[in-house]
Amino acid sequence: MIEELAFIGQIAVKSSIAVLLATLGEIIAERSGVLNLGVEGMMLTGALAGAAVGVATGNPVAATVAAALAGGLLALVHGFFSISLRVNQVLSGLALTILGLGLTSFLGRPLIGTRPGVRLAPWPIPGLAEIPLIGDIFFRQSVLAYLAYILVPLCWVLLYRTRTGLKIRAAGEDAAAVDAAGINVFRLRYLCTLAGGLGAGLAGAYLSLAYTPGWKESMTGGQGWVAIAMVIFAGWNPLKAVIGAFLFGGLTALQFYFQAIGIELIPAYILRMLPYVLTIAVMVLVNTGGGRRRGASPAALGVAFNREG
Amino acid sequence: MTSSPPAVLELSGITKHFGDITANRAIDWSLNAGRIYALLGENGAGKSTLMSILAGRYQPDAGTIRRQGRTVRFQSPAQALAAGIGMVYQRFMLVAPLSVAENIRLHGAAGRSRSDRQGASIRELAVRYGLAVDPDALVQDLSMGERQRVEILKLLNRRADILIFDEPTAVLTHTEIAGLFEVFQRLRDEGKTIVFITHKLEEVMAVADEIAVMRRGRMVARLAAADVRSQHDLARLMVGREIILNVDKPPAAPGETVLAVSGLSGPAGSSRPGFEEIAFEVRRGEILAIIGVAGNGQEDLAAGLAGLTPLKTGRLTFKGRRWRAPQWGRKPHEGIAYIPADRDRTASVGAIDLVENFMLTQLAVFSRALRLDRRRAAAATAAAVERFAIRGGGLKAPAGNLSGGNLQKLVLARELARHPDLLLAEQPTQGLDVRATEAVWQALLHQRAASAVLLITGDLKEALSLADRIAVIFRGRILDTIAARDSAAIDRIKLLMAGLETG
Repeated sequence: MIEELAFIGQIAVKSSIAVLLATLGEIIAERSGVLNLGVEGMMLTGALAGAAVGVATGNPVAATVAAALAGGLLALVHGFFSISLRVNQVLSGLALTILGLGLTSFLGRPLIGTRPGVRLAPWPIPGLAEIPLIGDIFFRQSVLAYLAYILVPLCWVLLYRTRTGLKIRAAGEDAAAVDAAGINVFRLRYLCTLAGGLGAGLAGAYLSLAYTPGWKESMTGGQGWVAIAMVIFAGWNPLKAVIGAFLFGGLTALQFYFQAIGIELIPAYILRMLPYVLTIAVMVLVNTGGGRRRGASPAALGVAFNREG
Repeated sequence: MTSSPPAVLELSGITKHFGDITANRAIDWSLNAGRIYALLGENGAGKSTLMSILAGRYQPDAGTIRRQGRTVRFQSPAQALAAGIGMVYQRFMLVAPLSVAENIRLHGAAGRSRSDRQGASIRELAVRYGLAVDPDALVQDLSMGERQRVEILKLLNRRADILIFDEPTAVLTHTEIAGLFEVFQRLRDEGKTIVFITHKLEEVMAVADEIAVMRRGRMVARLAAADVRSQHDLARLMVGREIILNVDKPPAAPGETVLAVSGLSGPAGSSRPGFEEIAFEVRRGEILAIIGVAGNGQEDLAAGLAGLTPLKTGRLTFKGRRWRAPQWGRKPHEGIAYIPADRDRTASVGAIDLVENFMLTQLAVFSRALRLDRRRAAAATAAAVERFAIRGGGLKAPAGNLSGGNLQKLVLARELARHPDLLLAEQPTQGLDVRATEAVWQALLHQRAASAVLLITGDLKEALSLADRIAVIFRGRILDTIAARDSAAIDRIKLLMAGLETG
């Protein structure tokens, strides 16, 4: 029983890391007032860049950094359109996702079927990994998972305990007031959008280097969209993002578990749908249930800033 | 000659254009330390633009600003603030979900002072200037007066010594206004320079040391408050003398009362004061003007009568039928045609064509069962275009392509086509050129023969040209109703608009 629980828990955490990383990044971006629906595209680009640099160099650090930068680069495209040109942010974000999908399926062709250059295998943390159950679940993961563990409190401290975080939150609520305070809203939003892209890029790296090493076309399977939903579920709070991500990971793990023990009561397709269906269900509940959480949405989210307008 | 202290700020030749409009024209002004300046003028006189230039929000097209003798150019509010010039906007620049302390910290100069030390300095400033406010309270929970104090603290915390206020009393209650003026005086006594924008004469007289008057983008007068003999002079400077009656108006032949209201207050469910105890009646065959400086409740009154916002208390009698204010409700009434002040947003939809806009308020007329009768609507619109000489791209063109004057004529034609019993026209010629204004005026006078006309306006010339009777609204109350034929009435109306009761 304990063994099964440890197994399911471990898979659950493993399956939640990509969503968690992307969610953290998107929280930073949205807190500053920039809605980026291009997470899926940025994740895919990151995944491909990671896989490609992995094959080329065999160096895990280079592969991870390349993935993050690829995501960041795409995010800057979104920044240029939505912050500088004040294009509709929903459109620009959607375009980014479509661009990411198309570009990666085209550029990724030579990589399909090649041996992955880098594999970030689980790296048990000495000592911590020996804790019964907890150690099995949390501390026999890949390095990127540990990075995500650290980023969660870091993002929270950044947003709620630093001056920069105050500026970010304020920019998402009322850009004109922040501008009047003498803060460069454009630069701030660019940086936060970039942070969102780096997060999504890392999430992509996690998928193509650790979760299922190697490149497969559209290997994110909608996790970028789940991350966007989880931002809302978490009420734009990095700590609560953990709950959302683990919920998604847990359902994914259950699906694997049912398949592994061969229960045929529910068709595998339905099971595979489960994490996504529940994401939708949770979103509906959150949005109809509590007016409070809707109030947590940054007031200036998706609204471009223009001083003379 | 050299007895006067050196200027802390000197403007010369400041000019600013917005498209074709010149908001500021060659403004010269100099400000000294330890003085309270009132910048007086009507709406659209260019006061806010001038102050936004000082505060670095706009850049002037021409002219120079000298700060303590040195020429400066502010590219952003941050630069102006760094030079000690801070502005409290009419729309407060506060982040509502954040606390007072967070808002002030947000404003603090980068890299300066830790948060706890700053907390202490906030408290110290608050005590020194009488700006009591809880640093941990969320801004969204504060009253308007408290929010304003936070704004002032923000500026003081940045060591601003020129503080600019854009209509600071507009959102305040009477006691809050008294408190604000005390703060002004304390700041002045500490050597700060205060500039506040207003169009209320009594405020100028109450607190200002120096007065500057703007009219149509120019600074028409600069005087010391001590030299002002009467508020009448100020009122005349503000409104100007040029009142010409150039519309031929036959005497009215009033018929039956169409709308009578008494004890009317509103709007319901709003913390704004709005209007109170309004009573008037308007008859078929006459034009009643309700005149007031913007922000004295007439906007709310128009919206309430038009059925856009609910009324609170009072009674209305419309076409013989009696209503209690709450029952009047949020719906348009059959027989009332409404020309809203905002023709681009409330009155029309810019993206759809002229015919569709013409149908907007009379969909029932142009429908046959479930189908819209576009052909008949097009014919009616064509007739209106012909009659009012509406130019701009034809019937299929989007209404947003029309100039302000042509769009207003379209709205006017549409509302007249409804054959109303009461025509409610709110600021019908605001921003229009002379020709369009005359066309609108002629149409309104013409309509007088068929219905009652209630004209809500801030334009004295318009009221005098059109109205048979003029009711002056100030702070939500009608002070008096005056027959427009009386030419001596003009001075009295001006004074009443400024809130000066004369016996």
